[in-house]
Order: sequence, then C-alpha cells, then structure tokens
Amino acid sequence: MNTLYLRRRMTNWIALGLSVFATLIGLGFLAWILWETLRQGISALDLKLFTKITAYGADGGLANAMVGSLIINFIGIAIATPIGVLAGTWLAEYANRTKLGETIRFLNDILLSAPSIVMGLFVYTIVVLPSTALTNGNTTFSGFAGGVALALIALPVIVRTTDEMLRLVPSTLREAALSLGVPQWKLTLQILIRAARSGIITGVLLALARISGETAPLLFTAFGNNFMVFSPMSKMASLPQIIYQYANDPGDAMHALAWAGAFVVTMFVLLLSLASRLVLSRNKVSHD
Amino acid sequence: MSSAPDALAIRDTGDQRNHRDARHDRWFRWLLMVCALLVLASLVGAAGATLWGGRHAFGTFGWHFLTSSAWDPGNDVYGALVPVYGTIATSIIALIIAVPVSFGIALYLSEVAPPWLRTPVASAIELLAGIPSIIYGMWGLFIFAPFFSAHIKPWLTSYLGDSPDDGKVSWVAAHVPFIGKLFASNYPFGASVLTAGIVLAIMIIPFISSVMREVFQTVPTRLKESAYALGSSTWEVVWDIVLPYTRSAVIGGVFLGLGRALGETMAVTFVLGNAMNLSASLLDPGASIASTIANQFSEAVGLQKATLMALAFLLFVVTFFVLLIARLMLRQLKKREGL
Amino acid sequence: MTESAAAGLHPQPAAGPEAVAPTKIQVNDLHFYYNGFHALKGISMAIPEKKVTAIIGPSGCGKSTLLRIFNRIYAIYPKLEARGEVILDGENVLAPGYSMNRLRSKVGMVFQKPVPFPMTIFENVAYGIRHHEKLSRADMEVRVEKALRDAALWDEVKDKLKQNALGLSGGQQQRLCIARAIALRPEVLLLDEPTSALDPIATGRIEQLVEELKSQFTIVIVTHNMQQAARCSDLTAFMYMGELIEFDGTEKIFTKPSKKQTEDYITGRFG
Repeated sequence: MNTLYLRRRMTNWIALGLSVFATLIGLGFLAWILWETLRQGISALDLKLFTKITAYGADGGLANAMVGSLIINFIGIAIATPIGVLAGTWLAEYANRTKLGETIRFLNDILLSAPSIVMGLFVYTIVVLPSTALTNGNTTFSGFAGGVALALIALPVIVRTTDEMLRLVPSTLREAALSLGVPQWKLTLQILIRAARSGIITGVLLALARISGETAPLLFTAFGNNFMVFSPMSKMASLPQIIYQYANDPGDAMHALAWAGAFVVTMFVLLLSLASRLVLSRNKVSHD
Repeated sequence: MSSAPDALAIRDTGDQRNHRDARHDRWFRWLLMVCALLVLASLVGAAGATLWGGRHAFGTFGWHFLTSSAWDPGNDVYGALVPVYGTIATSIIALIIAVPVSFGIALYLSEVAPPWLRTPVASAIELLAGIPSIIYGMWGLFIFAPFFSAHIKPWLTSYLGDSPDDGKVSWVAAHVPFIGKLFASNYPFGASVLTAGIVLAIMIIPFISSVMREVFQTVPTRLKESAYALGSSTWEVVWDIVLPYTRSAVIGGVFLGLGRALGETMAVTFVLGNAMNLSASLLDPGASIASTIANQFSEAVGLQKATLMALAFLLFVVTFFVLLIARLMLRQLKKREGL
Repeated sequence: MTESAAAGLHPQPAAGPEAVAPTKIQVNDLHFYYNGFHALKGISMAIPEKKVTAIIGPSGCGKSTLLRIFNRIYAIYPKLEARGEVILDGENVLAPGYSMNRLRSKVGMVFQKPVPFPMTIFENVAYGIRHHEKLSRADMEVRVEKALRDAALWDEVKDKLKQNALGLSGGQQQRLCIARAIALRPEVLLLDEPTSALDPIATGRIEQLVEELKSQFTIVIVTHNMQQAARCSDLTAFMYMGELIEFDGTEKIFTKPSKKQTEDYITGRFG
C-alpha cells in the first residue's frame, strides 16, 4: 500500500516536472529566436536600409522592398476585407445551420491552414499566365498578382473572425431593428457589422499580420524587383522575398541586410498582433 | 392623435417600400452568397489549377511518377519520391518532437501553473505562432543549423550512426537494425532532414499546444473534481479523465499541426539542403515538395514546371485530407459540448 | 362569462369602465408551433384601444410568444408557425399579403433587455424614422426631441445627443428603446418584460411612463411581476401552458378571479 502510494506520487512528480520542462523548451526557443532576430537585426539597422534600394546590393538598403511590401499587403487586404466580411456575414446571418453554410464554414477552416505556396501557384495560373498570354509572352509577374495571392491567404482569416464575431452579437439587436421595420440588409450593414466592428477589425489586423510574413506565394507572383516601383502592374520586391534571396546569398553583408529585414518584419507582425489585442480589449470595456 | 395624416401617408407608401425592401434584401443576400462561394472557389480553384498545370507530368509518367526517385532536368525525367519522402519524413519528425512537448505545455498551462502565470505564458507561446515562417527559416539556417552541426550531429553519429568520425561503431549502431543508417553522416553540414524536422517542430508546437489547452479546458470541472475527491493525483486526473474525454480533439489538434508541417515552405527550405537524392540517413540533406517548388519553379520550363505543379497538387490534396480529418475530430468535441 | 371562457370562446373583459373602449386587436383561435411543439393552443381575446393590457403567467406559458406574434417578429426565425387570426384595425396581420413595413410602423416593440444600437443617442431614435419617412434635418430634430420627451428621457440626454448610446445607464437605455419605438408613431406598443433587467428605481420610472403613454397608445405588456401588472394595467390576461385561462379587468383578476388556476398563481401557490 505504502509503496503503491509512493509510486503514484513519484509518477505524478515526474509527469508534472516534464510538463514544466516542456514549457521551458517552448519558451526557450521563443526567446532564442526573438533574441537572435533582435541582436542580428539591430546590429544591422542603418539609415540606408530605409533610403537606399536593393539595386546597390551589399551597399544598398531595403527601401524598395519595404514600399513593395506595403503596396502588396495593401492590395491583399483591400481585396480580402470586403469579400471576407460579406462572406462571413453570409455564414453568420443567412446560412447559419444550413447545409451549404456549414460546408463553406468547414472548408474555410481548412483553407486557414492550407499550404500558402499552392495558393501562389494558383494565382500564378489565374493571374500571371493569362496576362502573359495577353502581352505576347512577356512573363507578367506583378505586385497586383502578389496582392491577389496574399488576399487568398487573408480571406479565410477575415471570414472566420467576421463569422464568429457576428454570431456573438445578441439576437435581440436584430429583433429590435426588425421591429422598427428596417430591412435585413440595412440591419446587417448599419447595425450588426457596426456592433461587431472591433472584432472584425481585429480579424483584419490578424490577417495583415499573417500575410506580412508570407514569402512562398510571392515568389511566383510579385517575383521581385531591384528598383523602386509604385505601379502594381510591374514586378515588385517585398521584404520576405528579399530576405529569402539575401539569406541564400553567400555574402556576409547580404546576410546582415537579411537580418535587418527579418527584424523589421518581425517587429511589424508583433506590433500588429499587439494592436489587434488592444482593439479587442477596448471593445470589451465599452460594452460594459 | 395629431399625427394621423402622417400615419396615413406612411400607410399609402408602405406596400411600395415593402417591395423595394424585399428586392434589395434579395440582391444583398445574393451578393453575400457570391462572396461566400468565392471561398469555395479558391479551394476548388487551387486544386484545379495545379492539376491542370501538372497534367503533362501525370500524363507522361503515370503512376510511376509516385514511385520514381529520378530528378534529371537534363533528360527531363522526374519522379515525386524524393520530395514526397522529404515532406513526410520532416513532418513525422516534427510530430514526434512536437506532440509530447505540446502536451506538456498544455498540461502545464491547464493544470500545473499557478493561475497568475497562465495568461502570460500562454500569450508567449502564442507569440511563437505569430512569428513569420521565414524568420524560423533564417534562424534555422544561420543559428540552429551551425549549432546542430557543431554540437548535436557529432554526438548522434558517434552514438547512433554506423560510420562515426573516429571509426568506433557504437553499441546501438551495431545491435539495432536501421538505426545506424538513419544516423549516418555523409555530408559535413548542418542542413538535413532532421534539422528541418526540428525547426518544423518548433513551428507547430504553438498550434498543437493551444488546441490541446483549449480542449482540456472543455472538460467539465465536476468531472475533474470528482476524480480529485477520490484521491487521484493531478497526473492521474489528466491521464485517466481529461485525455480520454478529449481524445478525438487532441488527435484533431495533432493533425492540424501535421497539416501545417506538410505545407510549410520557408522554415523548411532554408534548412533542408535541397538535395534531390534519396538517402536513408536523417542527417543527410533532402528536399520537400514545398522546398522543391520554391527553389525551382521560377526557372523551370516545360515538363519540369508541369512536374512542380503536379507536386503542388499532391501536396494540396494530402494536406486537404489531413486538415479534413483534423477538423472532423475537433468538431466531435464541439458537438458533445453543445449537448 | 366563466362558461364561455371555458368553452374556448372569446372571453370578453368584464363590464365596467374599461370595457367601453373599442377593440384594437382581436385574436381569434390562435395556435403557435415551433419544431412541432404546440406552444399556443387556441388563444382568443380582444385587446381594447388605448388601455394597458398585461399578460401574466409562469415562465414558458407562452406569454412572450403571444406578444411576438402581434408584430410577427417571430417570423425571422425558421420553423415557427402561427395559425389563426390577429386582427388589427379590421385586417388580419398574419395574412401573407399584409405589408411588413405597415405592420412594424403601426406596432412598436420594446424588449426585455435594453438594446441600444451601436450609434449616438440621436441616431438611435432617428434611425427607424429614416427608414419610413424622409424628413428634413429640422423636422427630424423635432421628432427625436418629441419622442425623447414622451419617453421621459429628454432632460437627461439633451446635452449629449451626439454621444454613444452604450454609455447610458440600463434604465436610460430602456427608455431610449421606448423613445425609438414611439418615434415611429405606432398605434400599438408591445412591451416584453421591459423592466426585468432593471433596478427598482428605473422600474418605477418605466411604470410611470407606461401610465403616461396610455393616452396615446394601445399598450400590451408581458410581465412576470404580478405587482407590476396590478399597478399599471387596466386589464390582465393570465396564461398557463399555452392557454389563456382568464382575461378580465385587472382589479377583478387580482381580487376575485373566476378560475382556480388564476387564484393559485396570484396567491403564489405555483409559478
């Protein structure tokens, strides 16, 4: 009896000790990765990063890649937000508990973790190839194509948060508006989406954070460009794509630039996820 | 009532407005449904586009495509075996490492940690999920792979491999079949299937652990309390009550992580070495489907491009089914919760 | 009288000063089903104009369901079905051709929990009006002020009309919802347990408001609070298990009800 009790206690302590150890492993790697990104990134930070373009190589900066990233991300979010919000609204308000609605909600969840590189090839097929055919065989990679690829990745994130946030809106709000004779489309656009506004903004911010670090889908869509361009119809550099390119370069100076880019991207993404949390928590306060 | 004339005016136009509202409602509903169908279209489209793009590869190589390890751009002969093996091997290694660690983290966060520590630690782990995969790749390439090559790899080859640097074959390698081959070192650098698996594991740990933690929290408190009341230890409650109760969702979480690992590109491409040859050793470089596409697609033409498209189709279909299983498993718990 | 109610015929309010008013809503043999469950079983009653009619009964008796049929708000959910007649000013509102805009502008509703829209106080009141009428800015301001005054809220909010309505207290929010409903100048006002989420002071103000609004509107109030029904209604209907047990002058119901079930409920023997 006593040995049984002892053995059970031992097992318990070992298991709980291992769980602490596992957590430390997780936190340790987090610290390691963040620390290296900070250390290597900050030591490579330099004013020319923001003023010079990648055409100068090791002596250059990342200005065109940063501008390119902003443009491509903007296109992605600008396409994905209206479509995602409307699709999420349909799932929550019109198709909740219908077969088609449940199916699309389910497939959207799958799309959330679908391989992004395949999305890149998809956009290559439907945007880059047709425009190549239209321009007599010049391969027409473009910032716009990159934006479409990122939109496909942002879309399921926005659909899901909109869907979830709208389903949290109490049904009494719908009843109150309908009891005034307001038609459903007005109710949806002017009251429900407004009531779920901060949740939806959170979803858009999360989607932006998600696509800001995406590299794979941009390789065959926006492609890259060593010069500063603003037209979405031309090939365009982006930070992740330049990081990828420079990290695979043998030169140490290029590696430093890649680290600097990695630092900028990481900070941007972390600030975005922080901002999205703030938006959501502020919303909670205002509802009390 | 002083407002009687107004009220009458409302009544006269009421029917007209009724029709207009109904029409607008119909249009609106239609617009929304089209947007939702776009979600469906992107899924079907991605599968369709890669299948279409890869049709020449499937047509040329047939079923042999899946079993051939050839990759010869000179003679335009390609097989899927090397990247398929690399994808599966790295993902399995990632799961072997990530599942127990994630379980430990979930256990710590739901049962062990003092309440005030739970939120900050959980947020930190979630932060790990927010880091872009290219950062994992950079860290893997410049920091972890050299570290692995200098400290972990020599230890593995000399204790488990069959061709250690000092020539003395260890007991394990001599007595356990296959182990020696798995840990043989034929190249002097850090990029390898094992390295990629480890980096992938770190990447998917936050996904799996947050799913596990969430499902652990769905276990009714009365269930746990009644077990504690019988004198069970924390571990016994988790092993005998929590795990059986949440089994399907836990498996769902693991499959979700697997889906992520299979399709991950950047974290793997940097540390896998991109060698298109089949090697039994986990310490040799290899290639995965995603890394092969990332590396070769821009310069590929003709049949090679079709082959890469065909690989993308395979990857998409396989991850689709893995994620499908994951979501179905996760839904089972939700259903029970709803009852 | 007792016999006719038992036979499922239309129970009429007791003779007396209240009964003189003409009928505003005539309910004939109303049945209600959801997912096959028979929730209302042949309700018939005549609700008089410009009186306060209270509907009481234990929870689940169908009193809120009945109220939600009067403006067909139940129809926004699938699988709900009402059979029978609800005749408002001589027309059956359950008839498929009855204009929803017309019904909703004639019948206003206030819900259990205050549900201000996520917009300013002014916009909350103006929002519904705007859908039904095109008014100039000045006219709109007059309408909003009138509605807020009628809802006894004007003095408290006149300086912060541009502020978000979510910042008001619960009682103020509920009066805002009443203002929003009466801003459309309905003829009937449905109140679905309007004070169940409020503190006693806010409740008192709403009850006082109901008394004041009676001269302009036909009011039907559902309440689980018997004292409230006794305090502010002219007629009271008692429902139990989907049936209308007794409908009579409030004083009669609370002093000498004709049915044993009513008496048991009033005296607190169940519910």
